[in-house]
Amino acid sequence: MKFPRHHFLYFLTPCAFALTGCGDSGPSGSEIVVREIPKAHREFKLVDTSRERFRYQTREQASAQNEAAQLGGGPQLVWDVPEGWEEKPAAMMRDINLGFGPNGEGECYVARLPGAGGGLAANVNRWRGQMGAPALTPEEVDALPKKPLFGQPATFVSVEGNFSPGMGSQETKENYRLLGLILSSDAGAVFVKMTGPRELVDANAEKFDQFTSSIDVSMN
Amino acid sequence: MADSTPEQSSPSFGKLLFKFFTSFKLATIVLVLMTIVTLFGTLAQVEDGLHSAKVQYFHSWFIADSMGGLPILLPGGLLLMLILFVNMTLGALIKVKKRWKGAGLLISHFGMLMLLAGGFVTWAFSTDGYMAMYPGMSSNRVESYRNWQLEVMPLTEDGKGEKAWILPSDELQSIKSNESRSYESPELPFTIVVNGFTKNATPIPVSAPIAANAPGKEIDGFKLSPQKPSKEAEQNLPGAYVEFRPEGGGDPVEAILWAGSFRFDPRENPMPFTFEVDGKKYGALLAKKSWTVPFEVQLDEFIFERHPGIATARNYESRVTRFEEGQPEKALEIKMNEPMRYMGYTFFQESFGPSGSQPGDEMFSQFAVANNPADQWPLYALIVTGVGLGVHFTIMLISFTTRSRKKAPAPTS
Amino acid sequence: MKLRLLLLPLIALLSSGAAHARELPKTILPSYEPWDAEVVSTFENLLIQDGGRVKPLYTFARFTLLQFSGKTTASFQTADGVDHKLHYSEWLLNVLFQGKVAKDLPVFVVDDSAAVVQIGVSPKKKRDRYSYNEIVTGRAKLAELSAQYAEKQRQYEQSEKDPQYELDRIEGMILTLGRNISSFEYLIGQFGFARKGDVLVNENILPEELKQLARNLNVVEMLDRMPEMTVEQLVQTIRQQPGASEDERMFSGALRLFFFHANSARGVNLFPPQDKDNEVWLSAGDVLLKGLESKEDRPWATEQLSDLQALVDARNESPEAFSRELASFAEKQHSISDPRGEGVYSDLEVQLYRGKYFSNSLLVFIVAFVVMAFSWLAPGSKVGKILIIAAAVLALVGLALNIYGITLRSIIRQRPPITNLYDTVLFITASAVFLGLFIELFTRIGIGTLVAIVSGVLGMFLSMKYEAKEATDTITQLVAVLDTNFWLATHVTIINIGYAAGLVAAIIGVLYLAIRFILTMFGKEAKDFYRVLTRMSYGVICFCLFFSLVGTVLGGIWANYSWGRFWGWDPKENGALMICLWTLVILHGRMAGWIREIGVHMNAIILAIITTFSWWGVNNLGVGLHSYGFTEGVWGALYSSWAILGIFMLMGVFLWFEERGKKAARKDSQKISKKAVA
Repeated sequence: MKFPRHHFLYFLTPCAFALTGCGDSGPSGSEIVVREIPKAHREFKLVDTSRERFRYQTREQASAQNEAAQLGGGPQLVWDVPEGWEEKPAAMMRDINLGFGPNGEGECYVARLPGAGGGLAANVNRWRGQMGAPALTPEEVDALPKKPLFGQPATFVSVEGNFSPGMGSQETKENYRLLGLILSSDAGAVFVKMTGPRELVDANAEKFDQFTSSIDVSMN
Repeated sequence: MADSTPEQSSPSFGKLLFKFFTSFKLATIVLVLMTIVTLFGTLAQVEDGLHSAKVQYFHSWFIADSMGGLPILLPGGLLLMLILFVNMTLGALIKVKKRWKGAGLLISHFGMLMLLAGGFVTWAFSTDGYMAMYPGMSSNRVESYRNWQLEVMPLTEDGKGEKAWILPSDELQSIKSNESRSYESPELPFTIVVNGFTKNATPIPVSAPIAANAPGKEIDGFKLSPQKPSKEAEQNLPGAYVEFRPEGGGDPVEAILWAGSFRFDPRENPMPFTFEVDGKKYGALLAKKSWTVPFEVQLDEFIFERHPGIATARNYESRVTRFEEGQPEKALEIKMNEPMRYMGYTFFQESFGPSGSQPGDEMFSQFAVANNPADQWPLYALIVTGVGLGVHFTIMLISFTTRSRKKAPAPTS
Repeated sequence: MKLRLLLLPLIALLSSGAAHARELPKTILPSYEPWDAEVVSTFENLLIQDGGRVKPLYTFARFTLLQFSGKTTASFQTADGVDHKLHYSEWLLNVLFQGKVAKDLPVFVVDDSAAVVQIGVSPKKKRDRYSYNEIVTGRAKLAELSAQYAEKQRQYEQSEKDPQYELDRIEGMILTLGRNISSFEYLIGQFGFARKGDVLVNENILPEELKQLARNLNVVEMLDRMPEMTVEQLVQTIRQQPGASEDERMFSGALRLFFFHANSARGVNLFPPQDKDNEVWLSAGDVLLKGLESKEDRPWATEQLSDLQALVDARNESPEAFSRELASFAEKQHSISDPRGEGVYSDLEVQLYRGKYFSNSLLVFIVAFVVMAFSWLAPGSKVGKILIIAAAVLALVGLALNIYGITLRSIIRQRPPITNLYDTVLFITASAVFLGLFIELFTRIGIGTLVAIVSGVLGMFLSMKYEAKEATDTITQLVAVLDTNFWLATHVTIINIGYAAGLVAAIIGVLYLAIRFILTMFGKEAKDFYRVLTRMSYGVICFCLFFSLVGTVLGGIWANYSWGRFWGWDPKENGALMICLWTLVILHGRMAGWIREIGVHMNAIILAIITTFSWWGVNNLGVGLHSYGFTEGVWGALYSSWAILGIFMLMGVFLWFEERGKKAARKDSQKISKKAVA
């Protein structure tokens, strides 16, 4: 069979065509194009804040969740997040949940319990136990310093030691410090608890005060 | 080394070239290179993920990469396949001596050419995307797996929009994270300025300690923090700094747009960034690139079965109704290995969601929607190649056995 | 002949089977009374729903013991110095109905004693088997560490294999041991509710007064008398501090025990549900909770549990009573499951494992190899030829056993022969043996038989290793996309025949290179023989190309039907493509004049490396749609097999240089003789 041999180059041409495919359809090019939106997709959700738009939990959602979470009813809280701290996703039994530190190893949360929550001394000693510190007698507990919370004197706890939080977590974190406030009355108890590596907590002790004094009951 | 053709006159350049492109040696070299590229491409998938390795090794002309510290410089899959195509066409179809004994080979090479051509058509002209919906929902919109576009649409007060001004994904995605480009449209009263696009990013509140390290500007308490692109390109959530400059002057509106505001579940509505220009409300959104098919599909029922007592899915299938111009046209089923083919589009039962759903939860169905002009070519190519090889090897086997028989009486010492 | 002398020690080694008596692990049990054979047989035919299908307890017992122990028998020596070897079903019978004994049986294998040291258990030999009671001293530490390592492994998977989360060897062992111990506890706890406080699991978490209560509590009766309360209300009751009155304390305690028993009895699903349309079987614990939840289900639940109670009571009464009760329990179970169409092939499944077709097949292949080896002592002689024929017949028997087993498996699950990785081992072995024997039919020089036998030995050995390593049921349920008998029968079967051919070509290559290497060392030549081998190899490579190519393209067509794309450069697809490409390299390289005899065989070995890579390697890369069957330790095995193949490649390189040298010498001498003539 004779074949004009130099013509083989013609075979290349179809292959050199339109090598622009990218496995997609839809608008392309570098200009703005106008398209009608398909009927099924014409609704958008309007949100007010970037926070919502970026799917971070808003305060309203957090407190709504708290309300739903068994405690029922209590007034909503407002607070200021100290600089360098960040809000963490709301968790069970926590009204406010904050974190701090370069890797977020410090945490600080507020929890409310209806009723006396087991009594002041029991709670102080529970925390001390978590830090491996010996229990205090009721008299010693009464003698602990007080700091304001909701404008009332709350018992201030500061313990250093090795932190084992219990609740299913087995590991013990060494060289930790716990700062806490307990406001206990017949109407209910409020706990503010901050834990973290000792140096980190030392550095944030002032912000702890700043934070606790900013917590207030929402007026609306 | 036995292909010496005793031609005394110095062969012309064209002849030399023809000889080169028709030679078995070229075929062998290309095949060896293709094996190597396939191997490296496969190993690269472990490092870089399926999609990016695919683009780099197989959909490319040349490959420059490094693996385990060693540099790799190879011809890309496209180039090799092109050479192979030329080599096969010229060598196995045109140059080859036409004999009955070679008929099988001729046919099978033709089949392989069809396969390569089909691959080329698929690569160049096919489209694929997906459509996900819960029972009761309907749609004609197909979304891309990994391409994102910028959409701006006038919105009513209650958040409805009918038209979108779209900055196409190939343009948007070509903007670097430190680059600014502006776009205008005669019908929009503002200029859109994109101040950097990031392939994979997360907006973080500036109150978070890690925000200090994030580059870029703070807008409304947030910064866009770039993330390492995921190996699964579908998982990337891009972000962009965008600015809207009113034509008549006035303060520009700045915003961070993030793909995460689009939609994770078919039931969600996208959450655009909203702003006003000249008293009119607009929304801006990073949205999946999308296109429409010329009919609507409504999911009537999604059937999902698991093997008893374990989480493995046994079967899932969708009962759908197809609508044309608002009228129900046909009710049918789409299930595993039984796609729906209509008007050039093929709907496959691809997946389901949401992930982690438990028995009893309501689930959505996801269809892969493909449009491939070469859809059935591989099947035809296979038949041709199979017949060709079958013919050839049968001829060979017959000659092998007859030769063995002939030789059999001669004893080996 | 020197060659024969070389072969002798090899044959002696093979025929001398390594059957030393090994020292068995000792237990503190004073003696062991075996179960009545009839009881064992009834027991192993009971049905259980596990891994998404209904199967005989026989299968469940096999893979559970394999998982714990790494082998399918429990061997030990009792204090009276008697050796015992328990079959897996007998072992499970002990676990369920004689827990005290089962806790002292050394079945938990620990590969490195360093792992048990970490949990505070006194070590035995470096690799040894421990009883539950030996491990239990370190139970708390084990739970703690394995929870920690499980979390670490989860992070490893989640972080796309960040090496900082990778478990080291010891950590992996502790995690496995922890899982095995906790599975064992679930097994022991199955009938705890019926045992009146006897052999409790984790009893140390119960306070003393509850342990007392457990001895007198009849849980089944309690279920019948349970007040009308929702499960939530009952859970609340437990949470609250019990009141002062004795009754309240008793009720609260009984309730706690009820939940304790119900939670300990999960996972062994022996009870088909009441509802005919419901496919999910229940365990004793599920039945307890179901009875608690709804008044309507209570009579049914009570009936099921009473049957079990009767069985456990009969065990304490007499062997005869137990045998009777077990038979009636089995009969009742089958009377429910049969009309439901479940466990239809359970008899066949018991037959499959009892028949040991695959291990017997391995044995036959080994014998065939020995016979074959003897034939080399008298090559070409009449005896030698008869021995080769005998070996071929034996290989045929081995193939028949394998195929019979594969057929049974296909019938049991009503599927084509290949649905998972284990199936591919059996199938590829069968194909390779068949191919070898087919070659023998046309060549009659013993090489085909040898190829068949070598494939048989290697393949069946691999299948056994794989089964022991995975230690999970090999008859698995299919994910939805594989639920298509058409494609399983076509694409999957064809591509695996292609793999088999690739491996056979390599075996021929190895034989060629080894034989030629040895002969060359002895200064001998056998050109005709070499040529026949090369033609054989060439034929097999063509065969490989045909099946790989058709199989690969069929796979693409299937992918196009189910996923919407013909080709996605997925690792498994790439693996198959590389096989096709390399066969094409060989065929075209031959046409180009670059590959001759030695080249064909060396390339066939490369083909085998590619084949094993795409058969085993790509599944373990962990990417792509095909990445099922993650198997640890595969890479090690692959690397060593490639290293072995590499040795033969080196022989090939040597031979190639040698051949070139000879050619050059011949040319020189020709030149010289020409000169001389001139």
